Amino acid sequence: MAKDRRQKKSKYTADRNIPGAFEGETVTRRRFMTTTTHAAGAIAASAFALPALGFAIGPVFEKRERRWEAVGPTTDFTPDTYVPKVFTETYGIGDVGKTTVYVRQHNPEIDGPQKDEYDAYIAISTKCMHLGCPVRFVPASERFICPCHGGVYDFQGKVDGGPPVRPLDRFYTRVRDGQVEIGPRYSVNSELRRFSPRYPGEPLDGIGQYLYPSRPTARKL
Amino acid sequence: MNRQQKEEYLREYAILKAQGKPFFPYAVAKDAIMAVIVMAVIITMSIVLGAELGPKADPTTTTYVPRPEWYFYFLFELLRIIKPDYLVPLATLGIPTICLILLFLLPFFDRGPERRPEKRPLATSFGIFVIAAMAYLTYLGASAGSPTEIELETPKAVRSQGGEVLAQFEAGRAVAAQSGCLACHKFGENGNDGPGPELTHIGERMYPESIRRTLINPTSPMPSFKDLPEDKFNDLVVFLSNLK
Amino acid sequence: MKLKLSAPIPAGLKPQPRRPGEKDPGAAGAAKEAGISAVDWLDERTSLSGAARWMMFRKVPKGTNWFYTLGSATMIAFLSQAVTGVFLAMYYRPSAAEAYESVRYITNEAFLGEFVRGMHKWGSTVMVILVFLHMGRTYFFGAYKYPRELNWVVGAVLLVLTMLMSFTGYLLPFDQKSYWATIVGVNINGTGPLVGPYLNDFLLAGPDFGATTLSRFYAIHMMLVPGLIAALIGAHLYLVAKLGTTAPPWLKAEKDPELRKESA
Repeated sequence: MAKDRRQKKSKYTADRNIPGAFEGETVTRRRFMTTTTHAAGAIAASAFALPALGFAIGPVFEKRERRWEAVGPTTDFTPDTYVPKVFTETYGIGDVGKTTVYVRQHNPEIDGPQKDEYDAYIAISTKCMHLGCPVRFVPASERFICPCHGGVYDFQGKVDGGPPVRPLDRFYTRVRDGQVEIGPRYSVNSELRRFSPRYPGEPLDGIGQYLYPSRPTARKL
Repeated sequence: MNRQQKEEYLREYAILKAQGKPFFPYAVAKDAIMAVIVMAVIITMSIVLGAELGPKADPTTTTYVPRPEWYFYFLFELLRIIKPDYLVPLATLGIPTICLILLFLLPFFDRGPERRPEKRPLATSFGIFVIAAMAYLTYLGASAGSPTEIELETPKAVRSQGGEVLAQFEAGRAVAAQSGCLACHKFGENGNDGPGPELTHIGERMYPESIRRTLINPTSPMPSFKDLPEDKFNDLVVFLSNLK
Repeated sequence: MKLKLSAPIPAGLKPQPRRPGEKDPGAAGAAKEAGISAVDWLDERTSLSGAARWMMFRKVPKGTNWFYTLGSATMIAFLSQAVTGVFLAMYYRPSAAEAYESVRYITNEAFLGEFVRGMHKWGSTVMVILVFLHMGRTYFFGAYKYPRELNWVVGAVLLVLTMLMSFTGYLLPFDQKSYWATIVGVNINGTGPLVGPYLNDFLLAGPDFGATTLSRFYAIHMMLVPGLIAALIGAHLYLVAKLGTTAPPWLKAEKDPELRKESA
């Protein structure tokens, strides 16, 4: 028996007493046919599965054009309160691509020294950083309030209470020809440090920025 | 279930089945009647309740209060009651995922041979607990009031005084609702549980003067309301001090 | 309970010789004859009557009561959703600019439009309730136990798919409620570490709610998930027929007196 088993382990089919085996043949014809069937099936299946998958996840790598849109003359805005402005964030879908943004002038008493040319005006997104509901600025209490799950943000957009995981997102702003222009969105952590835009509900403190990677094509300036 | 119990069950089931009736028409008759009832319910609901279409989607809104369909209320309430931000992923995905995995694997960890609900006290009471918890969360989610409205009933004392006080009370209600008090305080059904104390009966605990002082000079993180216009501020104080 | 592949013609369909004294059936008889031979033709080529009899004339155990109709009731609700959904799709336009207007047209102007949309809308509610009731029945009766574990797993997948249907269908009318509920729902997925952001990109077809988000939801709601549900309902039903429906757990088989004597 032991001898037989060793014989079966020989890689040559002729040694294994398989009828019709050729000299030097290592794969039986049946085995060859089985493998061919599996391989052909796998190739055919991946021929439609892979393109479909690629098509579905393609938008992850799509690059969006960066635009700046004027929302009003510099005289519209003060350092003490926010002015709501509507501008188009996503192009090509009409009214649904618009969003409201709260704009004010940089206030050195609250915000400290101005960081760069994009910091002269502060544009705060109305997307709640808990799960994306529309927040509202309440002038009386100088708070941003989310109606969904009770998130509260202070005047700078930092989290004051409730479940939001990071301060409200902001937009880059710049001044051109006396007009304040709004540019791409960026996310901030609890110290208002800038990060590439993230989805709501994704914390940016500690290891958050690594746990929730941003899109490879959407970067901060 | 060990092998003997499995075989016992199969034998028992074979006898029960042999004593049973053909699926058609006996069970199908019940199924068909049930199908008629289901369709009657759907059609009645469609005719009576109609298909309401709200205003068009508007991403620029800052006043809309989103609420989900009723069968997602329990998830919605879960998101509302779990406040600390580091627990948010737990509320959004953690708890639902764990529940789903437990649901999928149920037949693999509950392998006892007993099937009668009254003889499986653990499984039965757990099932009832889950249903009760979901019903409770659904109820809480359904009764969660809008955070920009206070639906408290006007107290009798205020209504009987009428005139000036009543007008001030109602104006103060609007000020409180629109000033974001509900983000941290609860008024009856409206508002959040904390971080601030519930204000449904604040008038019993504080005099108007101390309410006034607190509004102007509050403890952190409550913001000061000293910048409110004089008349609005007075309305707010009248409203709060009459909540008894 | 074995599936016979070459099934003989059912007795009811066999042509019977005319009894003495019976009148000539005339045209009606000829039509009946034609019907029988058509079924016969089909059965000779497909042997479907065997499968149909295996499905329909299997025995259900004693004590089968109204609780056992919840599964088929869910299926009826699903069929109703499928049919009304197809008719809504004839008017619906899945683009951000036109969706709301087309739903408004269905609701306010199309003949029976509000009725059909109402059936679809409330049908989803009824279906969700029925799914939960059906699952509750299975749970409390211990019907997921040996040998029906696999069918429980299939049912749990169907539950998840049903919830997915209500979530994706929610966006389609494109009113305020559907828009914001979808935003929140999508962002819930985004809170999953590492994969969350990519899952969001996949669902929204981009970094934000964009031009193709709606059509993506529509395709998932219209084709992907209903196809999966239909296939899994087939598997679910096959397993039910194969393993048999459970008897109510409190029912014990009455053993033959002779058997009882033996065991004693």
